[in-house]
Amino acid sequence: MKNAKYLLVVTTALAVIGGAQAADIKVIANSSVGASSVSSDELRGVFLATKSSLSDGSHVEPVLLKSGAVHEAFLKDYVGKSESALETYYRSLVFTGRGSMPKAFATDADVVAYVEKTKGAVGYVGAATATSGAKVLEVK
Amino acid sequence: MNRMIKFVGLLATVAAFAPLLHAQFDFRIDGRDVQIHSFAQQGYALSNDNNFLSMDTTHGSFGMTDGGVNASVAITDKFRVGAQVYARNIGQLGDYHVQLDWGYGDYKFKDWFGIRGGKIKTALGLYNDVQDMEFLQTWALLPQGVYPLDLRSSTIAHTGGDIYGEISLHRAGSLGYTGYAGVRENDPYGGTYYGDAAAGDPEQSFSGKAAGGDARWHTPVEGLMIGASFADQTGIIKVLYGAYGGALLTAHSAPEHLTAGYADYIHGKWHLSSEFRRDYNIEPYAFLGTGGITNQSTKGWFGTVAYRAAKWLEVGTYNSRFYVDVPQNPTNPNSNHIFDQTVTARFDITSWWNLKVEGHFMNGYGDTFSAHGFYTADNPAGLKPDTNMFVVRTAFYR
Repeated sequence: MKNAKYLLVVTTALAVIGGAQAADIKVIANSSVGASSVSSDELRGVFLATKSSLSDGSHVEPVLLKSGAVHEAFLKDYVGKSESALETYYRSLVFTGRGSMPKAFATDADVVAYVEKTKGAVGYVGAATATSGAKVLEVK
Repeated sequence: MNRMIKFVGLLATVAAFAPLLHAQFDFRIDGRDVQIHSFAQQGYALSNDNNFLSMDTTHGSFGMTDGGVNASVAITDKFRVGAQVYARNIGQLGDYHVQLDWGYGDYKFKDWFGIRGGKIKTALGLYNDVQDMEFLQTWALLPQGVYPLDLRSSTIAHTGGDIYGEISLHRAGSLGYTGYAGVRENDPYGGTYYGDAAAGDPEQSFSGKAAGGDARWHTPVEGLMIGASFADQTGIIKVLYGAYGGALLTAHSAPEHLTAGYADYIHGKWHLSSEFRRDYNIEPYAFLGTGGITNQSTKGWFGTVAYRAAKWLEVGTYNSRFYVDVPQNPTNPNSNHIFDQTVTARFDITSWWNLKVEGHFMNGYGDTFSAHGFYTADNPAGLKPDTNMFVVRTAFYR
């Protein structure tokens, strides 16, 4: 029993140190987005600006967090680029005219507020964040 | 000491303007966001034996300044317009002449098909379209065997049209493609004009067309991209031949074919890339009622390895190789190649300001027609076989 408690403490500590996981992330979209789910390939395309519409034809634009565990986990699990690599990637689009710098916000609440009011916006926040005004997309 | 004072003074000046560059100038028109972005770069180069890139590098040169500003707006969800102006002063090149770097309209019908029209950066190899923006790279200077700073305008952009798109290959990844056709850049402030003028044969005009394509496969292997490019270029050059009292020499490529194969791999903190470039250029000429053919073909490749040691530090090395097919003096073993082994440390001071410290260890200097940084006019005592060069470059961007 003592060993089980010890194991639980260690596991919890490792989870905290390890930061957010995909399961701790909620992908949200503006109500104008018709789809209720999105594939991980589509999600990556949206955040790499190679995809500006989803399978249902809805126009989409990415919205990012500026930093934090949820941001890092999202980039690692769904975009496949580090923070610095993604910044470089966006700048290469911006300075060749092939794209715009996406909106980025400091807090989950700011992301939710922007997604709620912006047509086609797709963002991500911590799973525990209240997102009543935005649609939650299932990632397949 | 004098050099050090200049260097510190220049850094202080650039740093003073940095907040201005970093300031937010974006605004809205009719509910649409207009984004403004800019960058400025300043370098210092010091070499031992040879002057490089038309700078007085043997005495230390700050003549490595460039920058650009762009504005873009999405008019609708599918249609966007934008433009960027760019100016540079690299040694004797550029002379701060402000030029339209790119400016075009872009209509994206579907993710797999869009069109662009205007002046457009040319998709060729890994870095052709972003070669001016060294702040995007680990390096202070991109591998000069493939991306020569002095000859950037020979491939940098075309005025015409593109088709482009990204096609999903499902489990096999995705394929990005670009096809284009247009008129080539004519840059009287670039290395081709400078080299000819310095040799006593001033160039009178240049015109040409370009068409080609680029395909890049984002493979199912996380972080691995493989690509290939092809360009078919023509060039009509008129030169006043100094040795014959300024008689007109007309040359035209018939045609010039550029082929590139490349790969880029990012895994965790590691970033590896490689590119091979072939420039097949058989150039017929007409002169004083006679004619002939010169072979100005070259090839080059590089391999790079970079490691992100910390959020503020990236270190790396590359090996760049450039070969001249038929040097004008075949008995000179140093004129048929330029090899460059480079080591770099990049310091990301903030998210919008970096500083790079780089060492180049070069062998060979290439041929007169190929230039690639080494000009006989800048080295009147003769070119030496080896060149070691120290480069510091800082950049601000937002």
